[in-house]
Amino acid sequence: MKKIININFQGRVIPIEETAYDLLKTYVDSLRRHFVNEDGRDEIINDIESRIAELFSERLKRGSACITDEDVSAVIASIGRPEDFDEQDGESSSAGPTTNTAGSSSNYDQKQEQYSWTHATAGKNTRLFRNADDKIIAGVCSGLADSLRIDPVIMRILFVLFFGVSFWIYVVLWIVVPVQSLKTKVTKRLYRDPEHRAIGGVCSGLAAYFNTEIWIPRLIFGVPLVISILNGALHGPFFNFHHGLGFVSGSLVSTLVFIYVILWIVLPEATTTSEKLEMRGEKIDLNSIRDTVKEDLQGFRGRAEKFGAEVKETAQQFASRTSSFAQQSGQRAQSFAAEAGPMARRTGYGLGHFIAVMFKIFFFFIGGCIVVALLGVLVSLFGAGIAVMPFKDYILDGQWQSLLAWCVLILFIGVPIIAVIVWIIRRIAGAKSRNHFIGYAFGMLWIIGLFCLIALTVAVKRNFDYKARVQQDFNITQPLTGKLIVKVANSAVQYYGAWWGGNWSGPFNLTDDSLVVKNVRVKIEKSNDSVYHVFATKSSNGSSGIQAEGFARTLGFQINQQDSTLYLDNGFSLPAGQKFRNQQVLVTVQVPIGKRILVDRSVSRRYHWFIIDRGRYDDWDWDYDSESSYYYNDGVEYIMTPGGLERTDGKDKKHVSNRRNNNDEDNNDDNGYNNNRNNGNNGKAERYRYQQIEDSIRIKARAKLREEMRIKDSLDREKKLKEVIKTSSVQTRKNSAGTNDDGDMPGNHLIFSPVLIFAIR
Amino acid sequence: MNIENTQSQMRKGILEFCILSVIRRGEAYPSDIVEEMKAANLNIFEGTLYPLLTRLKNADMLTYRWVESNSGPPRKYFSLTEKGLQFYNELEKTWNELANAVNALAKKTESLPDTTNQNPSF
Repeated sequence: MKKIININFQGRVIPIEETAYDLLKTYVDSLRRHFVNEDGRDEIINDIESRIAELFSERLKRGSACITDEDVSAVIASIGRPEDFDEQDGESSSAGPTTNTAGSSSNYDQKQEQYSWTHATAGKNTRLFRNADDKIIAGVCSGLADSLRIDPVIMRILFVLFFGVSFWIYVVLWIVVPVQSLKTKVTKRLYRDPEHRAIGGVCSGLAAYFNTEIWIPRLIFGVPLVISILNGALHGPFFNFHHGLGFVSGSLVSTLVFIYVILWIVLPEATTTSEKLEMRGEKIDLNSIRDTVKEDLQGFRGRAEKFGAEVKETAQQFASRTSSFAQQSGQRAQSFAAEAGPMARRTGYGLGHFIAVMFKIFFFFIGGCIVVALLGVLVSLFGAGIAVMPFKDYILDGQWQSLLAWCVLILFIGVPIIAVIVWIIRRIAGAKSRNHFIGYAFGMLWIIGLFCLIALTVAVKRNFDYKARVQQDFNITQPLTGKLIVKVANSAVQYYGAWWGGNWSGPFNLTDDSLVVKNVRVKIEKSNDSVYHVFATKSSNGSSGIQAEGFARTLGFQINQQDSTLYLDNGFSLPAGQKFRNQQVLVTVQVPIGKRILVDRSVSRRYHWFIIDRGRYDDWDWDYDSESSYYYNDGVEYIMTPGGLERTDGKDKKHVSNRRNNNDEDNNDDNGYNNNRNNGNNGKAERYRYQQIEDSIRIKARAKLREEMRIKDSLDREKKLKEVIKTSSVQTRKNSAGTNDDGDMPGNHLIFSPVLIFAIR
Repeated sequence: MNIENTQSQMRKGILEFCILSVIRRGEAYPSDIVEEMKAANLNIFEGTLYPLLTRLKNADMLTYRWVESNSGPPRKYFSLTEKGLQFYNELEKTWNELANAVNALAKKTESLPDTTNQNPSF
């Protein structure tokens, strides 16, 4: 039972079955598409339509009540399908290989177009393009593969294998190589497949996307989960990750579950027909609909052909028919083989593609991290640049350098920030730039910024080329107690919140009219006579020797004495207008043998010694005069002996011996002390040499190391004395109380240990 | 290189010549042309024919005339123009030369001179 409708077809009224009408309409549409590029398109369609109408009316005249599906199929068979024209028409544009078997081959052709990587384009594209039609990230791999005429999957695997290098190659090619549609494959999109869902349809969607069986992604997601559950069951109620397999599958499972959930959230469900087509990678234009309709028609067509053949058959035709049938079946077998090839390839392609897409996620993760990190670095550089700007008057010389500095800040640092932000926004918005003007403009500005940076660096470096040193002696009255204490005076005025809202304790203190530099260090030497000597070595850089000397001389640094205490200035100030040229003050205290010295903690707390290393020549001999200067800890009292500085509380001896002998059992302070005493002079001499060697190495680094060692030592001890920690420290306090006049520090290492233990916990 | 491809390439080349040689004999209706060609064992779809006719017509090789038919709207009958006739003659000449050459080559049966004793020289 079928509905019949009347249509006006080329001026004739044709009664036609509704299904037949649909076939006819589809057919005419396919013709229209086929001739879309012809000059006389409308005329051709008109001619064909009127011919069809003529055939229909003939049929009606012969007594048919209406036009049926079979009639339409017969007409179509006689006029031919667009893909049949390709074979006969010399001017058709099909580049793919064609066969003569009209019906069966058309489907094959379609697939050939979609899945063959090289046929259609290999001849044309030897130039390198990024492939817009087949891309995982930016189409670099498939573009490369296309120009080298190999399978993109192979290319992708190569890129994945050599990830380290290829990442940058990829990025460079992404930037350099233009994008073009290479028409190798239709675009596919990842959907969740609600029809074959197990949990969320993610696996079935992936399977559809990669042209694989559903069980493959399910296996990939499922197996590690099962393994880890089994593993967990074997190891009791708690997941035990101590075993390698358990750990691997555990982390893998969490990753996979994470990926699954992410995909579940991110991927849309394929609900409409077009989405389903897209999911399987079929084109959603009229062509694909034509194909699907055509597949339906195939049956009709075959029957109609058979029918017509039977009616027309004569003896002669029968002979030719048989031969052509034999030919056709041969071709069919051929085309089947040709079809089976791509099918097999597709499966392999699916797996490769799966790996590639998984890698894509990884790639974007890494890329995203790099971009975010880059942005962070740039922003903080910009912030630092802005923050340093108040200093620029002290470092830069003249208008030009100032201008250059601004250029560097804005062009060299600011422009990339803007570029990255613009890029991110474009990525998010999915905008595609038609011209590269913005990119070139950014690039140019950045290069200008780079040149500014180079010019500025050269100009500034020139101002630091020469170095001069000036020595200033201070007359001090000898302390009656035989002990000199070195402290840093409090500033007359304290500035708070001037910088970054906090108590700026860096090497600089910037005020409205001056820059306070705290690049001061205190050095202890052995005095040649029996009195204390104090002198300051002031040094400065400059663009010439004379200038450097001038800077060094104008440096104001004072030492005041109160009884046995020396108060050093809290840094030196550079008034506005004067330049910072790496001025330094090195205070040398010469201690006579048998006299004591205590450098207060304020020295290291308030001073910030730093060295601008210009690499030209070494200041080694000056800064770290290993022959005559000694390493010391602040807040600790020392006594000068012929062999060098010695702690008055004897802590250093024990310490050194501990480290050297690796004497773990020696957890009693008294014990260690006595041991060392017993070791006698030999140990002392060794220790002295040891210290000398240490002195020659950068003191600060060494000090840190020593502190760490000390912490370690005390930690070891702490482990053993965990329960009696308090008693132990009290003991220590007792021990040290006798020798330490000020009671300042009851032994450094034990102070550290509770803090450190707390931190570790 | 497969046989179908070569065959269809060969057919494509002569299609226009065949159409013109049918129309040369008088005014022709497209389905008649198809029938004529089928009779000569040269299968062609009408859908292939129409665009070719239109192209030839647009190139002034053909002209057409509306002829009233007894079964509905008028039909388009095609005939050759002067230019079309010249074009046909040219094609015929070429075809004959080609056919002779091809036949001469294809029909030769004697084997090529023996190459076993000759060194190939380039």
